[in-house]
Amino acid sequence: MPNDRDALESALRIARLEARVAALEEALLRRSRELRELQRHLPSRELLNLSRLAGGLPPVPHGRYDLEVWRETTALSVASVEETLLDLWQSLTPTVAASR
Amino acid sequence: MTDFASKSPPGAPSRKATLLVLAWNRWDLTERCLATLLSTDLKNTEVLVVDNGSTDETPERLAEISGIRVLRLPKNLGFVRGNNAGIAAVDPANDIVLLNNDLIFTQDDWLTRLRAAAASDPKIGVVGARLCLPDGRLLHAGTYILPDTMWGQQIGSLEQDLGQYTAEVREVEGIVFACAYIKRELMAQIGGLALDFESYFEDTDYCLRARDAGFKTVVCGGVTLIHDEHGSTQNDPDSLGRLFQTSRATFRAKWGADLAGRYGHRLLWQSIMNFPTGYAMSCREILRALDAEGVEVAYRYVYGPRTVFSPNEPEDSEDYRLNVLSSRRVSWRPKASVVYGQADVFGSNRGRIKIGYTMLEVDGFPRDWVRAAQKMAEVWVPSEFNRQGFLDSGLTRPIQIVPLGVDTNYFHPGLHSFPNPHGEYVFFSAFEWGERKEPGLLLKIFNDEFGCDEPVRLVCKVINRDPGLKLKEEIRALRLRDQGGRISFLFNQEFPHYQLGSLYRSMDCFVSVSRGEGWNMPLMEAMACGLPAIATDWGAHREFVHEGNAYPLRVRGTIPAIAKCPYYTGFRWADPDPDHLRHLMRWVFEHRDEARAKGAQAAREVAERWTWRHTAQKIVARLTALGA
Repeated sequence: MPNDRDALESALRIARLEARVAALEEALLRRSRELRELQRHLPSRELLNLSRLAGGLPPVPHGRYDLEVWRETTALSVASVEETLLDLWQSLTPTVAASR
Repeated sequence: MTDFASKSPPGAPSRKATLLVLAWNRWDLTERCLATLLSTDLKNTEVLVVDNGSTDETPERLAEISGIRVLRLPKNLGFVRGNNAGIAAVDPANDIVLLNNDLIFTQDDWLTRLRAAAASDPKIGVVGARLCLPDGRLLHAGTYILPDTMWGQQIGSLEQDLGQYTAEVREVEGIVFACAYIKRELMAQIGGLALDFESYFEDTDYCLRARDAGFKTVVCGGVTLIHDEHGSTQNDPDSLGRLFQTSRATFRAKWGADLAGRYGHRLLWQSIMNFPTGYAMSCREILRALDAEGVEVAYRYVYGPRTVFSPNEPEDSEDYRLNVLSSRRVSWRPKASVVYGQADVFGSNRGRIKIGYTMLEVDGFPRDWVRAAQKMAEVWVPSEFNRQGFLDSGLTRPIQIVPLGVDTNYFHPGLHSFPNPHGEYVFFSAFEWGERKEPGLLLKIFNDEFGCDEPVRLVCKVINRDPGLKLKEEIRALRLRDQGGRISFLFNQEFPHYQLGSLYRSMDCFVSVSRGEGWNMPLMEAMACGLPAIATDWGAHREFVHEGNAYPLRVRGTIPAIAKCPYYTGFRWADPDPDHLRHLMRWVFEHRDEARAKGAQAAREVAERWTWRHTAQKIVARLTALGA
């Protein structure tokens, strides 16, 4: 009976779609929990880099000039103004070279 | 060849000059020198190459070059006699430029500028140039020689070339004669190089003879030549050493008494110099300036065990002049001594005439400082702010204002810079983390006022030497917004002092929001470099900061000075107005032309009024008044 068969196929299709939606919702919830965990534990710079990598972009290069990267010390380190500033400016914008 | 006239500075003369290149063997150097020399602007000149008895291919190769005159000497007469032979062959109506054959010319207008410098004052007799090594380091910006050691030193030697010493005309004691423009008037009066010397010291000797004849020696900072040093002399170190020592003995016999006689005052200077502190840095500058102003100053460390700062001082200052000053012998009770430091070490003053020179960042001075200051013949402070503080604290001894300064050879608007290539406007602040510098206010207000999507950034050069302070926690506690103005930190990085001008020049605006200052040297240095500045309108730096040259930051009043520093207890300092700071940063960001104009005005004022020379001259005046 064509009508019964059509109805059965529709029911099966709906069931498959509902199962798929449920699976996607579960995956979404799991991913959402993961992201919340990452957000809770990772500094914003690393979140930014995760996002950039996911989008196919290179990560922001690690400079010595961010609070998160700096190692707490009371020792002074001798530095050159030229090298430091070139390094600082380069660290602010990602480049392909810097991402290697 | 480029048109000479179009490049000549207004009023530049076109007096004929003979460029005298002395060569002995090493054709490779001579060839390079001539090739680069002849490609520069050489209007109204002749090039005379003196072949000092070369035994290699030099004679034959020189004969192949057109447009030059060659004087062939039968044997190597040495630097002095070789040059004199050339001088004797020059038209006496010409100026003469002595050139080593190991020079490389990369600047088209070098001669135009030397000529202009020579013509700028009839009293100028000798003009030298900045010399750099092939690797780009500065080698020479003039010379000085101390009577203690009779060993000439090259100013600025081996520093990275960042555009220091670029004033077109700067008077010096001497220059090296690798490049020396000598005016005919001087040559007519004193002749050629002294035959007392075969090599070494003949150049300083010539400059001193010029001085005795009433002529100045200057360096034209607009000209930089590359000097592949010692390329033209024999390379045997032993013979060079013997030659040097012989010439040195001759020079000492000839000029020793004269050089020692240039000192009009003797002074013991007790302070700190070889640590990274504000007193130490300014001490070094004052000592150099005093020596240049004719004060025979000897240095001794005033701190150490059983003082408020117990470490022993490293002996090497890494500066030749300062090391000599440290090694000078001093009697146990010299006639006059200055203690430059906190007043609680004034008691160490060894002079019969005792002077205490100090400063503090609050509106008064501790009782024990005042007690120590009462035992001084007079007390010096850099500012009216501190003079008033001492008066309010009960000091009854004479108080003189002796301002601090800046070396405008190292802090000026023409320095090389390394600006942010991303087009952001960069505010800059430099401070040691602590209550007085009020870093939290600056970070919070900047972060709050600006957004991360605006083309602006704050760069903070932060020092923390306090192990009890956790800088990361301090900054995190400010809860700066991710979406707020972006901030970068240069943590605990110590730059050579001579490079700091380039650091300032690479930024757009200097910000100092401190609660109190005894002088505020970074602020003055930044202003000398032409940076617009925002600075708290309270404290010693009001001596040189005003509405016409900076952006004074209003204060809401004074508040108790609460900090770890025990000297502040019971005194007050400023409470900078956060709203006004917010307004000023936004205003500068949006009115950059106006800010640049203020910065330029600041640079002019600092150069005219606030150099270390001014400081030294004030000190000399006080020593004279005290009979020291």
